[in-house]
Amino acid sequence: MGLGFPILLGYLPIGMAFGVLAESLGFTPLQATACSALALAGAGQFIALALMGSGATAIAVVAATTVVNLRYVLFGAALSPHLDRVRPVGQALLAFSLTDETFAVNIDDHRRGSADAWSMAGVGAIAWAGWVGGTAVGALASGLIGDPARWGVQFAMPAMFTALLVAQAESRRHVLVGVIAAALTLGFMLLLPGRWYVVAAPILAATLAAVLPR
Amino acid sequence: MSATYVWTVIVAMAVINFLVRYPPIAILSRVALPQWLRRWLSYIPVAVMATLVTGEVLRPGGTWLPPLTNPYVWAAVGTGVVYWRFRSFLGASLAGVAFFLALRAALG
Repeated sequence: MGLGFPILLGYLPIGMAFGVLAESLGFTPLQATACSALALAGAGQFIALALMGSGATAIAVVAATTVVNLRYVLFGAALSPHLDRVRPVGQALLAFSLTDETFAVNIDDHRRGSADAWSMAGVGAIAWAGWVGGTAVGALASGLIGDPARWGVQFAMPAMFTALLVAQAESRRHVLVGVIAAALTLGFMLLLPGRWYVVAAPILAATLAAVLPR
Repeated sequence: MSATYVWTVIVAMAVINFLVRYPPIAILSRVALPQWLRRWLSYIPVAVMATLVTGEVLRPGGTWLPPLTNPYVWAAVGTGVVYWRFRSFLGASLAGVAFFLALRAALG
């Protein structure tokens, strides 16, 4: 997938939207950019903004984003068999730059046999640059950009997730897992508070698929 | 919004983000995983993506939208078809945003 350049182009506008929103809530451009640079968390950052805007305590904000980010435990585990020859420093950098998009691209590259530590580092660095650069531009130029919702930016993340979902559907069993996960998501969204469905639905769907007879 | 509040959230999120990402990689890459666990892990990507798409399109920004007139749902269907047909990540993402803008205008 071209070392993540499509991710860069996808992250720029979403990063800009984050910068604009953060600035409108009272973040300084430095704070907005530092948030993206240090706590690269995509959807988790937007959730944090929404909660901070509604006056939640720092603990409540961090707890909510942690729940959403627990999926990265699963991502790290899924990538780990491919990283046995990477040194700890490299593993730490790959972990730091791990997002939904970089994960999906790296898994896809591994399946084609075209991924190594360098290509993964490139994907991570390019995605990070797009996200952080976009945030800085958005926070500094929020007056010029206006309301990012006008440009349909709120669909950029779901659009990337959708393309990544179709990319992962490599066999009938994987399609089945996706359908089960979607159904469980709907159920858990109705039953569980907050965003616990992000953790519960994938774990149960993968488990069901693993124990079902072939 | 006080500077202390904002910096507290940023630093705490940064620390936790690293703590959920690094240990699984550092620990599990050193051990040989059993076959059943590798199989389970191979289902995780598609399961997480299906969950994220479902959650984001049915309840965007935390608000449930009526499914039949929800522009997110139909734009996601269009995005999926474009990716499936053309295998272009960027093309599908751009087409998705275009679908979304058109549907939002059409559905009100």
